[in-house]
Formats: sequence, structure tokens, C-alpha cells
Amino acid sequence: MPEFTGWLLDLFEDPREGLILYFIDKCGSRWRLSQPFPITFYALGVDADLKALWRHLKDRPGEISLARTQQMDVFKRQKVTALEITVNNPYTANKTFQQIAVQFPQLEYADADLQISLRFAAKTGAFPLSYCRVWADEANQLKQITVLEDAWTLKPVPIPFRTLTLAPNVAPHHARPRYLKVEVAGETYHFDLGAWRSLLVNLRALIQRYDPDLILTDWGDTWLLPRLIQQSEKYHIPLGLNREIGRGVSWREERTYFSYGQIVYRGQQIHLFGRCHIDRQNAVLWKDYQLDGTIEVSRVTSLPLQTSARVSPGTGISSIEMLTALRTGVLVPWQKQQAEMLKPALDLFTADQGGLVYQPKIGVHKNVAEIDFVSLYPAIMVYFNISPETILPDPKADNIVPALGLAIDTSLEGLIPRALRPLLEKRIEMKKHLASTPAWDPFRKNFKHRASALKWLLVTCFGYLGYKNARFGRIEAHQAVTAYGREALMRAKEAAEDMGYRVIQMYVDGLWVQHPDKTQPAEIEPLLLEIQERTGLPISLDGIYRWVVFVGSRQNKNRPVANRYFGVFQDGSIKVRGIDARRRDSTPFVANAQMHLLELLARKNDPQEALPEAVHYLREQLRTLRNGQVNLADLLVRQRLGRKLEAYRTPSPAARAVLQLKAVGKEMQPGQRVPFLYTMGKPGVFAWDRPQNPNPHMIDVERYQRLLLRAAGIVLESWGLDEEKLTEKVLTNASQLYLPVPPKQHPLQHSSNIPGIIAPPVQCALEGKSQQI
Amino acid sequence: MVSPRGVVQSLMTMLSALALRGKVIVVDGGNCFDGYALARALRRHTHNINTALRQVLLTRAFTCYQMMAMLAELPTDGTPVIILDMLSTFLDENVSFTKRQRLLENSLSLIRHISEGAPVAIWARARSTPTGEDELFLVPLLETAHDIWQLQTPEIPIHQLPLF
Amino acid sequence: MGRTLPSATQLMLNEEASLARFRRALRREDQLAFDDLFTAAQKHISAAAYAAHALPFETFLMAMLLEEHKEVIRLRNVVRALEEMHA
Repeated sequence: MPEFTGWLLDLFEDPREGLILYFIDKCGSRWRLSQPFPITFYALGVDADLKALWRHLKDRPGEISLARTQQMDVFKRQKVTALEITVNNPYTANKTFQQIAVQFPQLEYADADLQISLRFAAKTGAFPLSYCRVWADEANQLKQITVLEDAWTLKPVPIPFRTLTLAPNVAPHHARPRYLKVEVAGETYHFDLGAWRSLLVNLRALIQRYDPDLILTDWGDTWLLPRLIQQSEKYHIPLGLNREIGRGVSWREERTYFSYGQIVYRGQQIHLFGRCHIDRQNAVLWKDYQLDGTIEVSRVTSLPLQTSARVSPGTGISSIEMLTALRTGVLVPWQKQQAEMLKPALDLFTADQGGLVYQPKIGVHKNVAEIDFVSLYPAIMVYFNISPETILPDPKADNIVPALGLAIDTSLEGLIPRALRPLLEKRIEMKKHLASTPAWDPFRKNFKHRASALKWLLVTCFGYLGYKNARFGRIEAHQAVTAYGREALMRAKEAAEDMGYRVIQMYVDGLWVQHPDKTQPAEIEPLLLEIQERTGLPISLDGIYRWVVFVGSRQNKNRPVANRYFGVFQDGSIKVRGIDARRRDSTPFVANAQMHLLELLARKNDPQEALPEAVHYLREQLRTLRNGQVNLADLLVRQRLGRKLEAYRTPSPAARAVLQLKAVGKEMQPGQRVPFLYTMGKPGVFAWDRPQNPNPHMIDVERYQRLLLRAAGIVLESWGLDEEKLTEKVLTNASQLYLPVPPKQHPLQHSSNIPGIIAPPVQCALEGKSQQI
Repeated sequence: MVSPRGVVQSLMTMLSALALRGKVIVVDGGNCFDGYALARALRRHTHNINTALRQVLLTRAFTCYQMMAMLAELPTDGTPVIILDMLSTFLDENVSFTKRQRLLENSLSLIRHISEGAPVAIWARARSTPTGEDELFLVPLLETAHDIWQLQTPEIPIHQLPLF
Repeated sequence: MGRTLPSATQLMLNEEASLARFRRALRREDQLAFDDLFTAAQKHISAAAYAAHALPFETFLMAMLLEEHKEVIRLRNVVRALEEMHA
């Protein structure tokens, strides 16, 4: 009787055996077990309709069993009568359900159309990639499974994956790949992509020999695997990509959809059976948290690895909520959605707001402490018990949400807090652990990735609460969270001001404060404690800036904007937000230069001393640009195509680039980023993925020059070198001037027209405390 | 009433007249409720706009499911009901066509029931580029209505509340 | 998502837009002073948002007045300093 310890790698439905599960045995072998797994879902409605459904289904014994039960409806806050429908064959369960739903549209349904991994985890506690003790019988049927490590473990036993990596030598949408780099068991092979027959034979041999659990690819979903499969069929050389025999791979189509006001593009997907395929180029947030983080998401959400790699954090949160519902016997609604309560229009003005966002004082500030609430919105949801079913419309009850006519029922823990609490607590614990783990510790990277994965899930859970299609969404809950958030920030501001601090900036969950006598972390502690006392929420010190500069908006320098700033912490590290160095659409040449300037400023105690070196550096950069010495790839701009081409009246640069690609047969979808270069004359852009190489002499040098000087001006302005002055200083030779000095209207210039105003120089002298150092 | 989006301002003016007289329910099916326009309209008649704003009971439906659920839960105490941009949520192609049709049918019968006890006014937005589906969903709505106003331009002022 | 009312920033832009004809008819130097008023009001958009008035222009006016008053205080101090210098 087989008994072993190992990890659950993959699970899926089978028409004959029920549920198939693949395990990695700690000792090195691989297991394929099966288990009958009937699927249960519920129909809800009036008695007469339920009876009709019962009559329709009752004559299928062995296939479907029925029962009349009472189940918990979370929105109604009570149990309701339901027809419990259990389908024996998990492979056909969904189809059966769909048929029923079409034939009986007047009924509502619950617990239908759920991922099998969720059901399995709810039933047995075993989630994908969990470390378990497994018992089976001689027929390799799973008899019992016990989880040895829960999903919240800080240091899980590392999984001994056997990994095969496949990477074309170049991005297929850019140029034609010539060979395939294959890595497995420490060896690297190169196969000619022109010689398919030998490539297939060799690849098949490698797969057979090493039997990988994980196949990591680049462009495997969108290009490589479809090609491999196509060629494999053409030459009749089966690859054995699946471990599971007798099945093809699972193809999912590409999609473009609208989410949070933006167009999102998802490439097609290829999933394997018995092995996991992850396309690193198509994996969500791969750059952020790699395989470690993806495994963490899988464990915590109970989504299989191939799915968790490809879905957005919103789907992850939805899974966690559904799993919690399944585990606690709460119905998961199939399509029904909760309507908003009727409320006075007057309340909409206070309720329909986001987080509190201040306008900072533009300019440079010294010794500023940045303090942030720890996971503010999730913390509010968990600690203040905010859930769709805990919102009461009675403004006279206890626990009134500030400024909204709503109250929170704190007598029972809500579904959402119950679902999120372990996630929040783990994230907090991991953050603490990270802070005390030294940089050389090999575990550190793993921790960082996993903490990032948890962070993304948490960041999404709030938005999901108010999402119209969320199963457990409720707009009042969303409003309550933002209301508490605003109140918390307001109280934090008051605490700071009561203790003599000046508030430089506030943004949703964080404050920047300044106190002349408090410039060390230990001195800030009392403020943190006071805020925690007044709000009931954890808050921590992000760091103390030696100096921080708040920058105006892109369009108007004098208009304060919340999220454009840069600064240097006391430990010398730099934080940048919202300006070129951080923007995804900026040119590497400009972004790197800006970053370098920041580093120069950071190295000196008094940034003023860094100015000569900065000017020198800029001159050098402009020289290399003019001499054509800048790598063309570094001049790429990556703009997002915001709409379909036909929707543009005057095409944006991105649209013009896409048109060029279209002319050579390359289609791009709205939501995708298009890389291109700025060129002289019309059309002014050169799409990077065009088959020809761009002509370096076509580059619009003047434009890049302007971009560079503007970016440099943003950084150096606070120390007297704005874009105008820089242009003068850096382009000293008049004949080298490619651009006219931009005409500027100094905001105070017109004051000379108004009698009674003192001229600016006197003003500054008498200003005393100014924003300059 | 069927007309393009610009009519919202006039609808808010109409709403202000109702709010000054008593309670009124607004079901917003297109996220187009303009609270500030309503406040400005009220300001022309009274200083005490907050009291009037409390008389307007608002609910927003972001999906057709929510629309139907809302109509099923509306109080039937004679309070007039205004439905804004009734059909928008039914044009969401993420939900199957048959399902949407069904939900619309149910919604319309709920509306008929409500109109037996209270005045109901519905605005359906005429899109500048209507698809075949727009027509398909508009027809049952028009068939249910007692009075139909079709406006091309938003400038036509509305003096009378059309009744069901 | 689920947001119906425009943000305070948008409201301020709307108010500026509704005064566009007024602004246009002003002399150029007066236009610049006019712009200053809105730049001043911008510093307190967050307070206007938090106040959540049904008629937000009142809070924008308060913001403009606030900044004007701060300038008056500052000038008073300057004048006092100058007077002391010449005393």
C-alpha cells in the first residue's frame, strides 16, 4: 500500500477516473493517483421551480443524486432552502450544470463552475504545491491526504522541481528566432530552429530522460509551444509534453478586455497535464516575484500553478474568498449580484471618494520622515470587520462608519475578514522577517519574492470588494473602507500636528512629516505609537529623507501633484516616483541619465556640491547623443496603444508606429506597448519591430535632447538649474544650439505691472524661511 | 424617453423639481447621475439644498443582474421612480444574450408592477452608433411604456413628468 | 470603479472652464492674476474633496481667500520688517 511524503504538483478531471493527481515524492519519484470526486452545486428559488428541476433530474441514479438542504446565503444573512445536486463525474459536471442553467433560467445557482483545485482544497485541506503525507491503495487510488505545512508557513520546505527551460534566442515578434536554447539538469543545449526533425527528436529524448515537472519557456504560450506542437504533428514525432498520456495540451485563446478603465491584453495560453508550463513572458508579475512568488500565490489561493502564473491578482483574491466560503459552508453565488442600497443622494458626495490625497508643497524639504500605515485597506477590512454581510443600513446602531449612514455588525467575523486575515498577518510577519534578514542571506530573495506576491494580492483585495462582477462584492463595503481610510489618515495628521510636526504631504495611506528637533528614527517612535493609539491601525516608519523634492505636474510646474517626487534617505538610498526614471514609457537613455543625476546628488551631503559634476555629465551625454554613440535600443520609447487604430482622429506616436507594423503584417492590440524611435520628418516614428534596421541618422536628436534636458531640469531645478538654465549652460556654443530657449513666463514676473508689490529679489531676501535649502 | 446623453442636465432639473416636493427614487443604470448638476438646479430654488438632496434616494446598478435585483427590492409606497439610462447594463456583452433578454423581461414586468402604485419615468439613452442589439432591447421597453418621448437634441425642456 | 461623481480636481477644472469667457474678456495682466487665484485654490483641492460640498465652488473660493490672507500676513511682516529697518 503506497504511502509517501511529497508535494501536490497538478490535479485535473478525467472522464473515467474522476480526479487525477500528480505528486512529487520527497524521495525523487513521481506519482499519479486518482480519486472519485463528485461535484456538488446548488439551485435556489421558489419551491415550485425547485420541484420542477427535481423532477427533471431525479431519474439519473448513479449519475446525479439530489437532496433538499438549507444553505447559508451570506448576503441574506440567513440559511435558505436549496436543491443540492451532486454529479458523480467531475469531468462532465460543468457541462451538466450549464445544461441545467439553460433549461431552468428562472432559478439561481451557487457553488457552480468552480476550479477543481478549490473544491479539493476545501474538502481535504490540500492546496496545489502543498507538502503532504499521502496514502493510496494498490490501484493507485488516493485514500487519505494530510497537509504537513499550511499555506501560511514562513519557511516552507523547498520543492525539488525538475525543470526544463526552453528559450528562443530572440523575441519572435521582433525578429525570427534562429535557435532554441534548452536547459535541463545543469546542461545547456542549442537546437537549430530550422532543423525541426532533429530538434523534435532531441527534445523528445530530453523530456523522456529527465521527466521534468516544470517547463519554463519564453514565449511558450504565444509562439514556441504552438510551433513545436504544429511541427510535431507534421513530422509525426510526438513530444510527450504532457505527462498524462492520451491527452492533448490545453489551449486557451487570447483575450482583450476592459479593466479598471484600461484595456488589458492577455496572450493565448498552453497548459499541460501532469507537468506545469509557465511562459515567463506571459506570466503576470514575473519580473516582480518570479517562480517563488508564483508558487506562493498558488499555495495561498489554491489555484493550480499554471493558472496562478497567468491570472491577475484579482482572480487570486476571488479564489481565496471562494475557498473560505466553501470551507465555512457559505454559498458562492454563480451570477447573482448584490444591488446597492437605496441611499440619500446627499450621502453620495461624502461616500463617493477614494483615499485622501494632499497637494504637497512643491520644492525641496529636509529631514522628512515618511510614515505609512501597514496594508491600510486590508487592515481596515480585517480589523474593522468589513464584509458584504456585515454592512447594516441602520445609522443608529453602534460602529457607525464615519460620515456615511452605515453601521458595521461586529458580532460575527465576516467572510472577507476571515479570508484575508491569514494573508494580512503573513505579509506583516514576512515584512518583519525581511527587515531582519541580512542582504547576504540566501533566503532573502525568496522572501522578497513571496512578500511581493502577497503584497499584490492584498493590494487587489480592496478594489475587488467594490468590483461589479465580484462574487462577494458590495459597493457599501468598498465605501466603508475608504471612509475609514480617510478618517485614519486625518487622525494621523492631527496626531502629527499636535506633536509639533509639519505635514509636508499625505497620500491615501502615508504621511510625510517634518520636525526641526526630530531627525532620527528613535525620535519618531512616539508619533507612531500615538497614531496607532488614535486609529487602531498599525503604522511604520518607511525612512527619513535627508531631503525630498516634490515636483509639479507634467503640464504645469506650479500645479502640485501627489505622486511625483524623489529623495534620498538617510542611509543613502534613493526613492523616485512618477518622473522619467520610474515611468514605463520613458526612454532608457533619459531615464538612466536622470537616475545617474540623482545618484550624483545623493553622494554629497550638500547636493549643491554635486552640480558641477552633474553639468559635466549632461554635456557628455548630449555629446554621445549627437555623435550617434547612443545604443538605439536605449532610445526606445514604449507607449501603450490606448484604443483601436480606427478610433484615433489624429494618430498618437504609438498609433503611427502600430500602423507601420500593420503594413508588414504585424498586428498589435490595444493595451499592448509599442516600442519605437523618434525620427526626423514624417511620420516622426520608427517602429522597433519592423523587419529593417533603423537608420541611426534618422534619429530626431533635437527631440531626445529636449527630453533629456527636461528630465534633468526636474531633478536639478531645486538647486537653481532648471531646464532653461541647463539648456544655456550645457549647450554653450551658439552654433550647437538645436533648440530655441523655451519661452517662460515666470509666475511672479507680471507683478511688476501691479503697483505696490516689491520686486522679487527683495522679496526673496526678506522671505526668511523659504523652500530652498 | 429616448434621447442622447446630453439630456442628463435637464433630467437633473426635473429631478430637482420633484425633490422639492417630496421623496423620489432614482435608479441609475448608466453611472450618469450628476449630483452637482442636481445641486445647482436646487440652488436656483432654495438655500436648503441638503434637505432636498436627502429626499432623493439613489441606487446605482452596474450590471444587469444588479438592475433586476434593485427593481425587485424597490419600496412600493407610491414614491415616484426615475430610471436613468435603463438599457446600458443590458448591452454588456460579457453576459450572454439570452440571459440579458430574460433579465430585461423580468425587469420590465417588475416595472409594470411598480407603476401600478407610483409614477415611473424611464430614460433610455440613444447611442450615436447604435448596434443591432440596441434596437432589440429598446423595442420591449417601448412596448411597455404608456408615453414615449423621443428627443434628438437635449435643449428641449421637460415640463411635465411623463407617467406610466 | 463604482465612481459616479467627478473628482475634486475635475470639478476645479470645470469651474475654470465655466469662467473661460470671463477670463478671455480680461486684460492680459489681469488674466495672469486670475490664473494665480486658481493656482492658489489648487493647493487645497484635498480639503475641498474632504469637505464634499454639493456646491464645491464655495470651498474653492475659501481656498483662494485663504491663500490671499496668507499673502496679506506675509506682506504685513515684510512691511513691519522694512519699517524697523528704516526706523
